[in-house]
Amino acid sequence: MSLLKKTGTRIKGTKESLEEKQNTHFIEMRGEEDFHAGENEFNRRDFLKIAGFSFAAGVAMVGCVRPPVEKAIPFLIQPEEIIPGKAYWYASTCGGCSAGCGILVKNRDGRPTKLEGNPDHPLSHGGLCAIGQASILGLYDSRRLKQPLIANAPADWTQIDSEVISKLSSAKQNGGKVRILTGTVNSPTEKQLTGEMLSGLENGKHIEYDAVSSSAVSDAHLISHNKRIIPRYFFERADVIVSFDCDFLDTWISPVEHTSAYAEGRDVERGELPEMSLHIQFEGRLTVTGSKADQRVRVTPDEITPVLVNLANILSLKAGVSFPLSQLLDSPVNKDLLNEIADKLWGNRGKSLVVCGNQDISCQLAVNFINHLLGSYGNTIDVDRHSNQRSGNDKELSALIEDIHKGEVDLLIINGVNPVFDLHDSKKLGEAIKKIPLVVNISPRVDETCEVSNIVCAESHYLENWSDSEPVEGIFSVSQPTINKFGDTRAFAECLSAWLGTPKSAFDLISNNWRENIFPKSEKDGSFQAFWDRTVHDGYIEMPSKELKTDSFDRSSLESIETKSWNADNSLSLVLYSSIAMREGRHSYNPFLLELPDPISKVTWDNCLSVSPERAEKMGAENGDIVSISIGESDTKPIQLPLVIQPGQHENVIAAAIGFGSKETVRFKDVNPQWIDAKSSVGKDGYVGKNVAGFSTFNNGLRQSNIKNAQITLIGKGEPLAFTQEHNSLDVRDPLLPAGSHRDPIIKEGTLTAFRDDPHSVVPHTEHEGDDLWGDDHQKKGHFWGMAIDLNRCTGCEACVVSCQIENNIPVVGKDEVRRNREMHWLRIDRYYNDNDGDVSVVFQPMMCQHCENAPCETVCPVLATVHSSEGLNQQIYNRCVGTRYCSNNCPYKMRRFNWFNYAHEDEMQNLLLNPDVTVRSRGIMEKCTFCVQRIQEAKIDAKSRGVKVNDRSIKPACQQSCPANAIVFGDMNDPESQVAKLLKSQRKYRVLEEINVRPSVGYLAMIRNKPESDGGMHHG
Amino acid sequence: MNDRIITIVLSVGLLFSGLVLMPKIKDWRPVGIHTGYEPDQPIEFSHRLHAGELQVSCNYCHYGAEVSKHAGIPPLDVCMNCHRYVTVPFGAVIAEDKLAQEEEREPKRLVSPEIQKIYDALGLDKSLKYDSTKIQTPVEWTNIHNIPDFSYFDHRPHVAVGLACQKCHGPVETMERVRMTNALNMGWCVQCHRESNETGVNRKQVNAPLDCSACHY
Repeated sequence: MSLLKKTGTRIKGTKESLEEKQNTHFIEMRGEEDFHAGENEFNRRDFLKIAGFSFAAGVAMVGCVRPPVEKAIPFLIQPEEIIPGKAYWYASTCGGCSAGCGILVKNRDGRPTKLEGNPDHPLSHGGLCAIGQASILGLYDSRRLKQPLIANAPADWTQIDSEVISKLSSAKQNGGKVRILTGTVNSPTEKQLTGEMLSGLENGKHIEYDAVSSSAVSDAHLISHNKRIIPRYFFERADVIVSFDCDFLDTWISPVEHTSAYAEGRDVERGELPEMSLHIQFEGRLTVTGSKADQRVRVTPDEITPVLVNLANILSLKAGVSFPLSQLLDSPVNKDLLNEIADKLWGNRGKSLVVCGNQDISCQLAVNFINHLLGSYGNTIDVDRHSNQRSGNDKELSALIEDIHKGEVDLLIINGVNPVFDLHDSKKLGEAIKKIPLVVNISPRVDETCEVSNIVCAESHYLENWSDSEPVEGIFSVSQPTINKFGDTRAFAECLSAWLGTPKSAFDLISNNWRENIFPKSEKDGSFQAFWDRTVHDGYIEMPSKELKTDSFDRSSLESIETKSWNADNSLSLVLYSSIAMREGRHSYNPFLLELPDPISKVTWDNCLSVSPERAEKMGAENGDIVSISIGESDTKPIQLPLVIQPGQHENVIAAAIGFGSKETVRFKDVNPQWIDAKSSVGKDGYVGKNVAGFSTFNNGLRQSNIKNAQITLIGKGEPLAFTQEHNSLDVRDPLLPAGSHRDPIIKEGTLTAFRDDPHSVVPHTEHEGDDLWGDDHQKKGHFWGMAIDLNRCTGCEACVVSCQIENNIPVVGKDEVRRNREMHWLRIDRYYNDNDGDVSVVFQPMMCQHCENAPCETVCPVLATVHSSEGLNQQIYNRCVGTRYCSNNCPYKMRRFNWFNYAHEDEMQNLLLNPDVTVRSRGIMEKCTFCVQRIQEAKIDAKSRGVKVNDRSIKPACQQSCPANAIVFGDMNDPESQVAKLLKSQRKYRVLEEINVRPSVGYLAMIRNKPESDGGMHHG
Repeated sequence: MNDRIITIVLSVGLLFSGLVLMPKIKDWRPVGIHTGYEPDQPIEFSHRLHAGELQVSCNYCHYGAEVSKHAGIPPLDVCMNCHRYVTVPFGAVIAEDKLAQEEEREPKRLVSPEIQKIYDALGLDKSLKYDSTKIQTPVEWTNIHNIPDFSYFDHRPHVAVGLACQKCHGPVETMERVRMTNALNMGWCVQCHRESNETGVNRKQVNAPLDCSACHY
């Protein structure tokens, strides 16, 4: 007898209200013979009764039960300066890369929980990039080495020290080759120690290389300025910036410093008249830098040299200086354009800057010559107080590789680099390294090179140790430990000092070196202790500048410029680039970075081969198709990558990001929630992405990332990519559009000329004032929090995304969940293309909860879990939410995120990174941007307890704090003196989807390009 | 027929459960309300004696309340400020002195077993010097006034406005062992915030927030 059928028939026939129905059924049931259950079975009703009873009993029991007993364990002896629950900030230096940005480390209850940019730092000015933000996770990486290894077995330091020391002394005696191979070392103490170690050796050498090389810039300066340096560039001082294949805003040398400076120059409203710098970009693939340019010229990497030589030629004519070439070379860029650019540069002598990222000496020499003609040296370029942020030397590296292959090296000490992963022919190189009698690798994790090393020294994280650096000549910074070491680890400097026979702590090494060598440079009176305390407190010290403005350009260097003519060939160039999130792959253990969408392609958890739409069409390929890449005559093994179609890319250029496919990514197999339909976050080979560094080559002793004669063949369909591009698109469906209103562009863009002529032309004032949902009884009398985002400043670098993720305990969901549109980022950066006859211009738009006044989400929540605060915040109350997702459905900006799972928090070590001031959400809960309400509360409470007024400058949400370009400004819109109120009065201000009258609290300032002709706005993308 | 059997089974079950649960019925309370919670603590510290009789200010030990979210449980070195000298109640010292006089001997040094726990935790020897052979063991107190993880309470604004500690924590100065006297649930908090906005605190006007995000984020 079917229970279902029974209940079905009964309900069908009755017409009473639900309550009546239930009552009558009970009576009916008792009377009807048919509804008797069999002798030995329970019917459904009985089951429910029993279940109900058990439930009631359970509730009664629960009522009696105490929650799990929580223990409170105070200090036995509390350090005077520490108060539980209070955050302390320590100035330090970021160790994410060699750019040396200043950071402030937030310490809560004895552990660092967040990194923020140091606003006073002379290079980074308070910005911190995505890698810097994410690098704190390295500290809590449970798979970091906790002790040194000998032949992959745990060992202790005394054993290692004695082995290395004996090897060093035997090398001293018999003149054995000792090589120290590192990344860029800009720590004065480490430099001193390596120098000390090498000075005692007959045949010792320190070789630096950068996985992303800028060796050609240094080499060119050696020829032209007699100094092997990378100069410091001042983008803020340049009115005209011409960049050749140089992604100075993405990853080139010091991106945070450049972004911060560049954004200052792009601030339209800085002066009385609207003005901004002019930026022209020549490039093959579409970079973040290129997408900010006013004019973008598509050229292949090979075409850069003739263009630059011609530009140098034109400018030398203007300057009346002789140039080795009398005629212009054939060039893919027409001469009118070059003349135009030359005019602009010449007209702005002393205020212009030409940069080039190509690994080609001729290119770089031409650039140096151009900058010399333009008077850039001493104005926008400084060779005296030059950069130390990349000091790699590819020539020395290639000599070392030869030595290694020949088997001539006796002792190889490696730190901070992973040559077996970074360089081409890695397998052969690995085999050769294995044959070296002793290879010592100082590394925090067991990477590819560690596998071929005899000894692996566990390196401590930069937040665990003292270290110093001099990222730019004359700017010294210190990083201080913010937590006790997690394992038996050492800093590089400590290893070196132990092997010199005088083991000292990093603190002693650094403070001694500073006392002897750096303090005297400061020309300050007073004690060393006062100087040291000041430096540690500030995190940096800037030495007095001698105001040297030398331009010692050596004309004879022009002869080294290769002036072979350009002939158009249709060969395909493979560009190996470093992506904003992955760089060279040093941080590939970091899930925050792997889940960070590429700013342009918006792909996560993968590296793809980007191909121009024209080429993809010719190949008949679609996004996600697998293609095989090989290089003409080279014997490099072909690599298969998924293809992504990239508008704005040169047809003869294909590009792939390096840094993926490392051994570290094996751990992400099960990073996503494991449910019945879950797919792995790694590829079939067990890695995230593929390592394409094998394609890189050496050419004239320079590592090349642009490789000619590439071939691609379509293999077939691949797995769908984890794109975030089309997730959460903003769209207002016709029925929802209020009567009489029209669709407004989401991105508003204009030209400088138009903006100058009529400031209202970029954002035409449209009256969208619809009805207020709440009338006059919800007035914001106190604070009214709001935000202004300057699209002109935003470079799409995504530092804010990672900063937000760490501040707000946002989980990583893994590739498979991203594919299902379930990424959890509260802040995303939407990328819009504006199609201009096949070419594209790009605008980035950071998008987060808009905290609407007439919020559509609030009116549909059945349990009032999302309501408006009296200060204009759209609040989301996790403990009230039941997860209907109505709010998300009704959000026009699609900025609400639903917890589909209890995301992994099993890694107790990693949990130490969780912000104790933000709830960790559980499954079935909706969440979204809160404007970092925990920071607002902290500032308000702090002001209250000190009896002062809240100053909105003391409240910076994580995104604003991290932004190198200062594109995001948060504050009190009711305070007319606040920065946000002033910005929102700008003529460029508009609100996204203004037409639907939701009245967002976030205002955007329209994008302005320094172009003469009017372009019109960008439309729904 | 069958229904009757079930009814009987259920009633017997209910009766049985009732009998079993009867002794606990006085402990019954809605979920999340723990008024009356009075757990044993590792050291029998008397708030009645310290805060009541001796009138030590709350802020002397719980000094975090003014400067941090958490009032904090004092570290043992705060106890040692007094208990380096005070080892037993004054009465016991007098009695021992008297007894010693009667018995014509030197008075013995008395240490109360509860205070001895402080010395043991800090690894101190008889002369109250740190003894490196002893292991220092932090004291694990049992949390009483505990609010759920999804709400954030901050002591600072409450202390700054001059609210008495007893307003939330009850008459701690009369308690031998601390007992939770208020529910500390949301209704209770909000009620006070509403009233304070109307009546003010200490004759001062206050602006106690009623927004959800004042506590939940």
